[in-house]
Amino acid sequence: MIILGLESSCDETAAAVLKTDGRSFTLLANIVSSQIAIHKKYGGVVPEVAARNHIKNIIPVIDECLAAAKIKPQKIDRLAVTVGPGLITSLMVGAETAKNLAYAWHKPICGINHMRAHLYANWLENPKLKFPAVCLIVSGGHTELILLKNQKSLKKIGQTVDDAAGEAFDKVAQLLNLGYPGGPVVSKWALNGNPKAFNFARPMLHSKDYNFSFSGLKTSVLYTVKKLPSLKANSAKLKADICASFQQAVVDVLVHKTIKAALDFNAQTVMLSGGVAANQLLRDTCKLKAESSRLNFNMPQIKNCTDNGAMIAAAGYFAQPIPWQKLRVDPNLSI
Amino acid sequence: MAKKIYQTNSEIQTFNLGKKLASQLCGGEILALSGPLGAGKTVLVKGLAAGLGVKEIITSPTFVVMKVYPVRHTAAKDVSPAQKKIKRLVHIDCYRVNEPQAILDIGAAEYFRQPDTVTVIEWAEYLKPILPRKKINLTIKFKNFNQRQITVK
Repeated sequence: MIILGLESSCDETAAAVLKTDGRSFTLLANIVSSQIAIHKKYGGVVPEVAARNHIKNIIPVIDECLAAAKIKPQKIDRLAVTVGPGLITSLMVGAETAKNLAYAWHKPICGINHMRAHLYANWLENPKLKFPAVCLIVSGGHTELILLKNQKSLKKIGQTVDDAAGEAFDKVAQLLNLGYPGGPVVSKWALNGNPKAFNFARPMLHSKDYNFSFSGLKTSVLYTVKKLPSLKANSAKLKADICASFQQAVVDVLVHKTIKAALDFNAQTVMLSGGVAANQLLRDTCKLKAESSRLNFNMPQIKNCTDNGAMIAAAGYFAQPIPWQKLRVDPNLSI
Repeated sequence: MAKKIYQTNSEIQTFNLGKKLASQLCGGEILALSGPLGAGKTVLVKGLAAGLGVKEIITSPTFVVMKVYPVRHTAAKDVSPAQKKIKRLVHIDCYRVNEPQAILDIGAAEYFRQPDTVTVIEWAEYLKPILPRKKINLTIKFKNFNQRQITVK
C-alpha cells in the first residue's frame, strides 16, 4: 500500500510517501518545510502567520514530495492527514488540501490524530515490537503515557496535569532569555552545565498514578533566577547550570514514570516519541533504564520525532478511511 | 464583581480562591487574567474549573491557544441556580499570541459573553483592544516566594 501523509498542525508543513505491507515500512520521500525561522522573532508560533505560510507551502511541498518519491498520484492508495490536536487555522490548511486531493484523485482519506501519529513513528524503524508496550509521547503541547495492548489498541494511562514537558522547556528558555524554540536551546546550554548544581523539585515523582506535572518545576526555576543578583543571573556558567539541572529534573521524572508504568503493566516494550524525544539526554536515559529493567526499547530517529509527514502516513496505515465529506478537524482531539 | 484584594500563601489557597470565585459566576462572564510566568494563573483556572464542575484535567492551553471544556453539574448541592446555566468553560492563553487578530481567527470571540459560557483568558493584557469593556479583571502579583496578591475587579 502506498500512502501520502500530510501534516500542518503547528509550524511545519510536511508531506511524505510511505510504502508498506504492514510489516515493513519504507519511506519513498519525506519533505518538511519548517517555519521556525519565521516564528523565532515572535518567541513562539503565531497562528495567523503559521496558517498563511502553510497555504503558501503546502502545494509545493506535496509536489516536491511526489517528485522525490517518483510516484504519480494514480499510484497512491490512500491519503492521511492530521485533523488534530493543533492550531485550528493550521489544521484547516492540511485538511482542506487533502480533501480536495481525495476528491480530485478519487482516493480514500484518513483523518489522523497527531499524537497517535507520533506514537506510530516508532514503526518507521521497522522494529519487531512485543506487546503489551508502554509509549511516552512528549511534545510541546502534550505529555502522555499510552498503554498498547496490540498495535491498534491504545489507552491513555497518564498525562500532564498542567504544562507539557516541551512547554516547560520553552518557558524556562524565556525566563533565561535564551530564545525559541526552547527545547534545542536549553539542551545546548545544558551541555556545558552541571546537572547537579541546582536541586530542582521533581514534581509527582513518587505519586501513585502515571501523571506528570511541570508547572511547579518552571516556578522553581523562576524562584532560583529571582533569588540571584541580576549580575550573576546573566553569567553564562550559571545559565548553563540552570539548564542542565532543569533538563535533568524533567528527564528524571519522564523516565521514572515511564519505566514504572511499563513494569506495573507487565509491558515487554518501552517506546519514546514526540518532539521532546529528540532530546539526547532523554533518549540515552530512557534507553539505558529500559534495558537495565530488561525491557525492549524502541524510538524513532531524531528527524522522525519532530513533526513530519512520515508519521502521519504510518498512522494512516492503521486508520480507517472515511468519505472526504466527513473529514473534520478538531483542535482539542485527544487519544 | 466589587473590587476585592485577596492574598494567598500557597498553591492550594490559590486553587481554593478560584473555586470560591466560581461560585459567584452565573454565565456570560469574561475573566481577564494577568500576571507573570509562574504566578499561578493556570492554578487559579484549575480552581475555577473545579468550582464550576469541569471533570477533565485542566492543562495549560499555551500550545493550542484555546481549550473548551464541558461543565457537568453532578454535586447539585454545591451549585447555585444561576450557576446551573453554565454549560462550558473556555480557557484561552495568549502567551504565544501577541496579535489580537490571531485570537479572533481561531474563533474565540464566538464564545465571548455567551450566557452559557464562562471565558477565562490568560495573558489577557495582549488582547485589550478586542475585549469587551464589561469583564472581570484578575491580576496576580508576586509578594513573597509562595505568597500571591490577587486583585479582582
